[in-house]
Amino acid sequence: MQRTILDRVEPVADDVLSLVLRGADGPLAPWEPGAHVDVALPNWLVRQYSLCGDPDDREHYRIAVRHDRLSRGGSEYVHLFLRPGREVPVSVPRNHFPLVEAPEHLFVAGGIGITPILPMFRAALRSGSDARLVHIGRTRESMPFSESLRRFGDRVRIVVTDVDGRPDLTELAAEAGPRTQVHCCGPASMLDAAEAAFPADRLHVERFRPVEREFAPNTAFTAHCARSGRAVQVPAGESLLDALEQAGHAIPTGCREGVCGSCELRVLAGEPEHRDDIGAPGGRIYPCVSRAVSEQLVLDL
Amino acid sequence: MTSTDSDTKISRRPRRVSFEQLRARIGEPEERIKAKVSDRIDAHARRFLAHSPFLALATSDASGLPDCSPRGDYPGFAKVLDERTLAIPDRPGNKLADSFANLAGNDGVGLLFLIPGMREVLRINGRGYPTDEPDVLARMRTEAKEPMFALVVEVSEVFLHCGRALVRSRLWDPASRALAAEMPTAGEVAAEQMGLQIDPAVLDQQLEAAYRQLY
Repeated sequence: MQRTILDRVEPVADDVLSLVLRGADGPLAPWEPGAHVDVALPNWLVRQYSLCGDPDDREHYRIAVRHDRLSRGGSEYVHLFLRPGREVPVSVPRNHFPLVEAPEHLFVAGGIGITPILPMFRAALRSGSDARLVHIGRTRESMPFSESLRRFGDRVRIVVTDVDGRPDLTELAAEAGPRTQVHCCGPASMLDAAEAAFPADRLHVERFRPVEREFAPNTAFTAHCARSGRAVQVPAGESLLDALEQAGHAIPTGCREGVCGSCELRVLAGEPEHRDDIGAPGGRIYPCVSRAVSEQLVLDL
Repeated sequence: MTSTDSDTKISRRPRRVSFEQLRARIGEPEERIKAKVSDRIDAHARRFLAHSPFLALATSDASGLPDCSPRGDYPGFAKVLDERTLAIPDRPGNKLADSFANLAGNDGVGLLFLIPGMREVLRINGRGYPTDEPDVLARMRTEAKEPMFALVVEVSEVFLHCGRALVRSRLWDPASRALAAEMPTAGEVAAEQMGLQIDPAVLDQQLEAAYRQLY
């Protein structure tokens, strides 16, 4: 974790606060557009927020937090109790949503989903891409950063669904050329529509919440820790992460529901059963949700 | 353990003092103390609740026999639905459902909230009932699991209680933790109370395993 001080809190839309965090021990770890950080709140909760500031500013991170009506205690805490001056531990940035280079980009952001998209859109324009952004929100007042998007002129299209209705993403897909890479972040319904509209090989999405899915019943398996030479039994009723923690392995954790990637481990042998929403790269596993198909799993631990 | 019954047996019941006599001897509370009771969760109470990981829940059955039971989770686990309404998750326990059984016959609820390190405690009294309202349970999801039920408390009294009890008890003094070492383990107590011919260490291991399933 990096020590930061909360420097500034300001509303940027209805129910959305922008938070500027200043590195307390010199420059902060660098990041690429699309990256997010874990923020450790005083109420023991750890939440993931996309960085939406300027990657060239090494003194500060900027995040934006929407007050979720069904908050479990993260966004509610930020909105009601977190005040400037408070020390806030923040992880090193991680990026599961990198900008894929291309001559043309289409960015589709829903509501607070603008946060990772904003630095990606700026970076794409700087790289010379013919980049366009569609920002979708229920009302104009609910959409963060719409003022700062104004200077991009007709490269940015604001869609207010209360006025304009929901945009037809298949129309956007028909307008997009074959060389267009599509990056999309927003609520699950929007991402589902995007997955139906755009070809999978040119669509890149980031989810805030795990997709509701059914999995085969849990089975027990053994995790072999290659470096320590220990065998850890993982019973059906326990996650791989919990079993490893109980066995004394300190593993960084965040969401514990397969969306943030904090707990990533290397798999050396055995067949994992991936249950995360990140799309674990080859040879990696997120032990908070994922298990094993094989009876044995060998981990670089 | 040895029984100490013989040491503590008293020759007669301790005498009873009427409330009138008691009141006459302790005197009347100051007006400003009486005025501290609010009928709603104000900003200070809300901040207290957001930082409290532990509460004691008092209920009583239809005959008036009371019960008090602990509840705990991350700070703010008791959710403020509005300034008159709280919701407390019902996490897996021993399935006795004593509190809910009491509430079925008597909906009175007394709550005492603690914040580690803080001497003052927050007390809330009201009326309670179980709910399975999806929007309420969704706010209590931890490690991808929602509780089956939550206890809704319709608040009638909210007040901060002074810290003398916690000061005298040295509850947050790290040195006080040494007291726990003077206690037998839960497995040792259970083995003796239930007359089990079983190694207490086995019971303690089973308990430790059960403590790993918190949600």
